[in-house]
Amino acid sequence: MRILLIEDDAAAADYVARGLSENGHVCDVMADGTDGLFAATRETYDVLVVDRMIPGLDGLSLVRALRAAGRKTPVLFLTALGGIDDRVEGLEAGGDDYLTKPFAFAELLARVNALARRPPVQEVKTLLRVADLELDLMRRQASRAGQPIDLLPKEFTLLEVLMRNEGRVVTRTMLLERVWDFHFDPKTSVVETHVSRLRAKIDKPFETALLHTLKNMGYSLHAPR
Amino acid sequence: MRPADLWRHSAFRLALGVTLAVLGALILVGAVGFTVLHRQLADRQDARLMEIFTTLRQSDAADQQDLIEAIAARIKASPNQSSVYALRDAGGRTLVANIQEVPIKPGLSTVEAASLGLQTDYPYRMFAGDLNGNFLIVGLSNADLDDLSEIILTGFGWSALAVLVAAIAAGSYIASRLHHRLNDVTFTLQRVASGDLSTRLAVSKRGDDLDVISGEINQTLGRLGALVEAMRQVSADIAHELRTPLNMLRIHIENAARNAANSAAVEDDLAAAIAQSEAIDQTFAALLRIAQIEAGARREKFAPVDLVALVADIGEIYAEVAMDAGRTLRYDMAGAAWVMGDKELLTQSFANLIENAIRHCPPGTAITCHVRADGNRVTASVSDTGPGIPAGERDLVLRRLYRLEKSRTTEGTGLGLSLVKAVADLHGAELLLGDAGPGLRVELRFARIIGAA
Repeated sequence: MRILLIEDDAAAADYVARGLSENGHVCDVMADGTDGLFAATRETYDVLVVDRMIPGLDGLSLVRALRAAGRKTPVLFLTALGGIDDRVEGLEAGGDDYLTKPFAFAELLARVNALARRPPVQEVKTLLRVADLELDLMRRQASRAGQPIDLLPKEFTLLEVLMRNEGRVVTRTMLLERVWDFHFDPKTSVVETHVSRLRAKIDKPFETALLHTLKNMGYSLHAPR
Repeated sequence: MRPADLWRHSAFRLALGVTLAVLGALILVGAVGFTVLHRQLADRQDARLMEIFTTLRQSDAADQQDLIEAIAARIKASPNQSSVYALRDAGGRTLVANIQEVPIKPGLSTVEAASLGLQTDYPYRMFAGDLNGNFLIVGLSNADLDDLSEIILTGFGWSALAVLVAAIAAGSYIASRLHHRLNDVTFTLQRVASGDLSTRLAVSKRGDDLDVISGEINQTLGRLGALVEAMRQVSADIAHELRTPLNMLRIHIENAARNAANSAAVEDDLAAAIAQSEAIDQTFAALLRIAQIEAGARREKFAPVDLVALVADIGEIYAEVAMDAGRTLRYDMAGAAWVMGDKELLTQSFANLIENAIRHCPPGTAITCHVRADGNRVTASVSDTGPGIPAGERDLVLRRLYRLEKSRTTEGTGLGLSLVKAVADLHGAELLLGDAGPGLRVELRFARIIGAA
């Protein structure tokens, strides 16, 4: 994947760029907002990672300008502003996701991967399928190998998020935000508990496991490789 | 107050302005009144003149000598020449008169006293006309009329002066009183500007406009003081709470460096360092969040929130978490309980309360969430059957970074309840810590909004 990183902190930019390269991505770095906007409109990238506080043109204005120019490249905001409203502001300006500094690289990578292959909005899927696991979004029904599985509403949402990100890592924080709408870090094992309940329903009665735990990273749902 | 200072006072300038307006109105009214009065009096004088002339003309019917005697008698009756007469024959010779022989036009006219050979300053109003071939002149002094005019004008002048003086005096008085009170305001604001945020303006019991403004300024100062205090508190908290973990972080890194030098394994040290840095970040984020909540800007984004639905959602999320941890969580409630609030912050608050109960109570503890709407109040509570908090320490736990001695060992920022308190304050809700007998009962009392959809 081609990723453009717009970040003026050289050390942080180097850290992120090196990490992305190690994971098989091509990463260009711009240290200035104006240069960044120019590069983002001239070249084709799969994902933009934009720091909010950069010289030249701030991150919010950059993304607004990009969206005004009709560019739909997914944008992940990075910021040291940990404000309650900053996330909303970033999303309203046209950002697709938001990550507060300091962050673990695994978190950034998972979010970049999730953004890159996000299906276009107009393509509405009503049936998700991973191996023999099926999720009917219209009828709100889950089944594996033809056997219906009873899910609680939140379990359904949890499975939907995991299935939409088939084969990719979904971090604990991403699940908290997307399933439970929690924008803080719980001190108890909320995610672990619910993932283990879900696993008991979709994996335990069957031979092959689809839901995998990646230590210190998150979860991934995929067919056996 | 010096006169130059006086001029700078809006109250004084206002009083003076009003005075000048009143004075202008007074002069206008006076001028109109005077003109009308003067004309009325002049008309009456003319009427009297005609009356005298007519009376004399009628007496003439008998004899010219009688007429002369009648006029002479009249002249005698007016020794100070307030009325003058002259009867001249056709040749212009004076038959009887108390004025000099000067030509007078027939009909009404006004003549200066000097030209009649008289010693007064007042002009005379004359009427002359033919009387059986003779020429009769009758005149009346304008003395009364002119004196009256003068009296009226003088009266007006004095009263205008009195009004002017009274207005200036009243203006000065009001200005000086206002000056006094505004001086207080200026002085107080100067003290605030120089950093003393505890000072307040005096508010009298009268409740006038200045008191209202003073009250508003006091409220603003109170708010400002709270904000500055919150900021000071955050810096102090950061200094206090982050130094120890930063030191721990340094120790982990130094251990790793030493182990690396000895070619020993560094994974454990680095993992500990990362965990430590995450803990620092969490404390920092929590402190910032509380400070932002306390700043109150979130209130603008309040929307109706159904607390029953919100707490039931959180209860559903945590019921299994509690079960896995060996505690039970019940959340029995029905209906709806609407309050104005911030859903995200309320969610975090109730999650904090439930997590506190799960983490600080022994296994087997029963946790109950309850939301009830009654009258104009919504009460939401989280209670447990754990050890509770001693009555004396309940206020302390709401303080930032305070932890009960026994919970020192469990990890956590010690900011959970502070956040709940900040969120409660933001919502104008009462936060009460009570005894659940046994256990802790945390209760939040919100103002209910009725009729929300």
